[in-house]
Amino acid sequence: MAYTIVGQRVPRVDAREKVSGRAVYTGDMTLPHMLVGKVLRSPYAHARVVRIDTAKARSLPGVKAVITFEDVPKIFWNSAGFPPSPGAILMEDQYILTDKARYVGDGIAAVAAVDEKTAEQALGMIEVEYEVLPALMNVEAAMADEAPLIHDVPNNIMAHMPIVIGDVDQGFAEADMVFEDKYYVPKVYQVSMEPCGVAMAAPDMDGRITIWTSTQMPHLVRGITAHALGLSTSQVRIIKPPVGGAFGSRLGVVNEPIAALLAIKSGKPVMLKYSREESFLATESRHPLTMILKTGVKKDGTFTARQMTAYLDGGAYATHTPSFAGPVAGWFLAMYKSPNIKIDNYSVYTNSTQCGAFRGYGNPQVVFAVESQVDDIAAALGLDPLTIRLKNHPCAGEVWMWSNWVIESCGLDEGIKRGAEAIGWGEKRKKRFAEAGENAVTGTGTKKRGVGMAYMMHVSGARPMLHETSAAVVKINEDGKANLIYSNSDCGQGSGTALTQVAAEELGLNYEDVFITKTADTDVAGFDIGSHASRQAYSGGNAVKKAAAAAKEKLLAMAAEILEVPASDLEVAQGMVRVRTAPEQVISVAEVSHKAHFGTHGHQIIGAVSEEPPGNPPVYAAQFAEVEVDTETGVIEVLKVVAAHDVGTAINPAVVEGQIEGAIQQGIGYALTEEYRYQPETGQPLNPNFTDYKILTALDMPEVETILVEASAETGPFGAKSVGESGLVATAAAIANAVYDAVGIRIKELPLSPEKVLAALREKENSGNE
Amino acid sequence: MKRAIELKVNGEMYPVSVSADRTLLDVIREDLLLTGTKKGCEAGECGACTVLMDGKPVNSCMVLVMDAVGREIVTIEGVGGLEGLHPIQEALVEHGAVQCGYCTPGIVMTAKALLDNQPNPTEREIREALAGNLCRCTGYVKIVEAVLAVSQALSQGRRG
Repeated sequence: MAYTIVGQRVPRVDAREKVSGRAVYTGDMTLPHMLVGKVLRSPYAHARVVRIDTAKARSLPGVKAVITFEDVPKIFWNSAGFPPSPGAILMEDQYILTDKARYVGDGIAAVAAVDEKTAEQALGMIEVEYEVLPALMNVEAAMADEAPLIHDVPNNIMAHMPIVIGDVDQGFAEADMVFEDKYYVPKVYQVSMEPCGVAMAAPDMDGRITIWTSTQMPHLVRGITAHALGLSTSQVRIIKPPVGGAFGSRLGVVNEPIAALLAIKSGKPVMLKYSREESFLATESRHPLTMILKTGVKKDGTFTARQMTAYLDGGAYATHTPSFAGPVAGWFLAMYKSPNIKIDNYSVYTNSTQCGAFRGYGNPQVVFAVESQVDDIAAALGLDPLTIRLKNHPCAGEVWMWSNWVIESCGLDEGIKRGAEAIGWGEKRKKRFAEAGENAVTGTGTKKRGVGMAYMMHVSGARPMLHETSAAVVKINEDGKANLIYSNSDCGQGSGTALTQVAAEELGLNYEDVFITKTADTDVAGFDIGSHASRQAYSGGNAVKKAAAAAKEKLLAMAAEILEVPASDLEVAQGMVRVRTAPEQVISVAEVSHKAHFGTHGHQIIGAVSEEPPGNPPVYAAQFAEVEVDTETGVIEVLKVVAAHDVGTAINPAVVEGQIEGAIQQGIGYALTEEYRYQPETGQPLNPNFTDYKILTALDMPEVETILVEASAETGPFGAKSVGESGLVATAAAIANAVYDAVGIRIKELPLSPEKVLAALREKENSGNE
Repeated sequence: MKRAIELKVNGEMYPVSVSADRTLLDVIREDLLLTGTKKGCEAGECGACTVLMDGKPVNSCMVLVMDAVGREIVTIEGVGGLEGLHPIQEALVEHGAVQCGYCTPGIVMTAKALLDNQPNPTEREIREALAGNLCRCTGYVKIVEAVLAVSQALSQGRRG
């Protein structure tokens, strides 16, 4: 079906204010008498505070509040932005400030002062004496019997999630070949360009506190912050201005409780902005995972058994980790069909900074392991990597084991076909085999080229594991233009634009005549889960579409009275209501709405909806990479990435492409350059800055070709599914597989650094000489 | 100790009283309240704070405010606004090259400096110029497309 506004590359609702520097982010704001907050952080990865003396800091002129563990409410909380739901396992183990440091950067004290210099000076005047404990910097060290406990749980294991389907032992016995491999993926950071951790809190005279914050989840952050402070939810008001990127880093509470407590203690507004270094040191990253995969296959590529044992390094606090184990299991479970599956996920505390959400939420980790191994399996069986995936992936009409719901639509086969064409799969792979058989390489001299691919499936929301509530109000003004009141948690992805398009399409108004609340405000908009799990287009879109439909129904009823025809005979487009069979009988939306406001029974036409969406249709992607490996230096250059994504209906193709293109930058970083590292004995972070934590620049990026496959979902708004997270899920695996194609080495640990490439090349050469 | 100085920003003289250890970025944002220039790293690594100083792009977090005295400073607020956007800004909007927007002002300043000096850059030259402006949202794809489109339109305009 053709739409007027859905499917169009309309400019984003917030582009003009951003491109002109007029968009006001939280960190740009100022209030009269506003103080500056600063946090004193532990220099040790694991240490008890034996003595703390704040007297000197308190006496410094200009210091208005100093808080330590002694001053924080003794209420345990969990920062993860989850609604209470079946899939939310929320271990509460945090205080606003701690008397036991569990990572370098853990918050020990905080000050609010008249300016930044005074606040920093005050931090230096707080005397702290620590009893230093051994730092446990990986899951092996943390689980050891003699290891000290980071929290009060045996072996520092916060949770064990076992899943058994069928009988894997029988499945392995039936297999022609069994593959067992161990993979490791490191800690990486979202690094939004606006540092993570920006909040301004202002107490009022009625016992409430307003917090402006760069967040993905206004309503859930309201609830968690209130809980941490010992307040009732409605005593906290969250306002979310434009956010300078998030990618999961702001998926829950960051520093809102510290800002709020400083504001309450000082009685003044407090701005608490983390520096770039602090946003590395003290905010949540992607989980490092150790994954042991065992897979049994028949010669024809049928899977007889699939098993994964995974160790999730959750860092210093539980936050997401025990819940995160669920999707990690789900991604593995649902990727390939097999009668026998077994999963054991262990969530483990360590003395690194706590881990949380980062675009993909466990899927990039799992897909790297699974798709690396499936590539090896295809090679061992002599199958084309495309064939083994086409044969084993779940299809439309089958049950998707992530949700246990039937898959509505699947565009993967078309995506694989078009993606393969775009990368030149057939000729490039064939050429390699034709030249000298399996061990041949292409490319000139010491630079060898190869192509690889990987596939993925992802969610449109988190149902049924988590609630996916959204609320929307559409009100038609007396000039026939409409406001869309929504808890707009757009952090740059373009969801606010897409939702405006959905509302305009449903209402029959022009895109320019619908105004979404660009700033989310929990005192104004209805309860909404926020931005996570690629849910905005599907979950938000369904609520917005229904609210618009409710307003349209009232509009048409009123127009029917005026035109003296049944409402069912009317249609509305471009701001005009027409009789379908007699288009000359027409009245503008403005005229109808004006009559509603100022006619006999004055009222505004308003549609309001609060609900959960009906499903969770999965999206698919096939990504292809061509690489060139320099066998002298070990440097991998990605020459091209082709990303074929089934997103359902693309509400705004430019927005969708932008999501995929940007995600690929993060995916290539994950594959090649990004790793947050610690000194292994002391737990000191080694690279909390852009000089040493390398993200790709404009010069580093290869050509990216995006292919949109629009297998629309019946339950989606105008058929939309999702896109936000999926763009990076398969990228690292596709690159690793291309490296294998180029030089025949299989590296099972990210990133694929030059050192690892050279070591693997040496090993391959040595084993060849034996 | 504070010193009374004058800064010329976007063609206007601003008298300010500052201590000499402050950066141009902090004075622009905190004293002049020109908050379009963003703070991303305070270490000259990310380019979010790019402004033009005598026509050249600089990381304003790495410039001490005293070194900006007597220089012509242009910030994003001086490039285009309610009165109309600069062609580079229009192109970024039109190509869907703006996402979170935090790097965008710096990108505009760098691209403007590039095209002011070299109206006909190759794609490679655009990427080299933008290599100091980190973006985490776009993969630079639509940003490069937009800058390339402006340069092509400009050169067509000159020919026409």
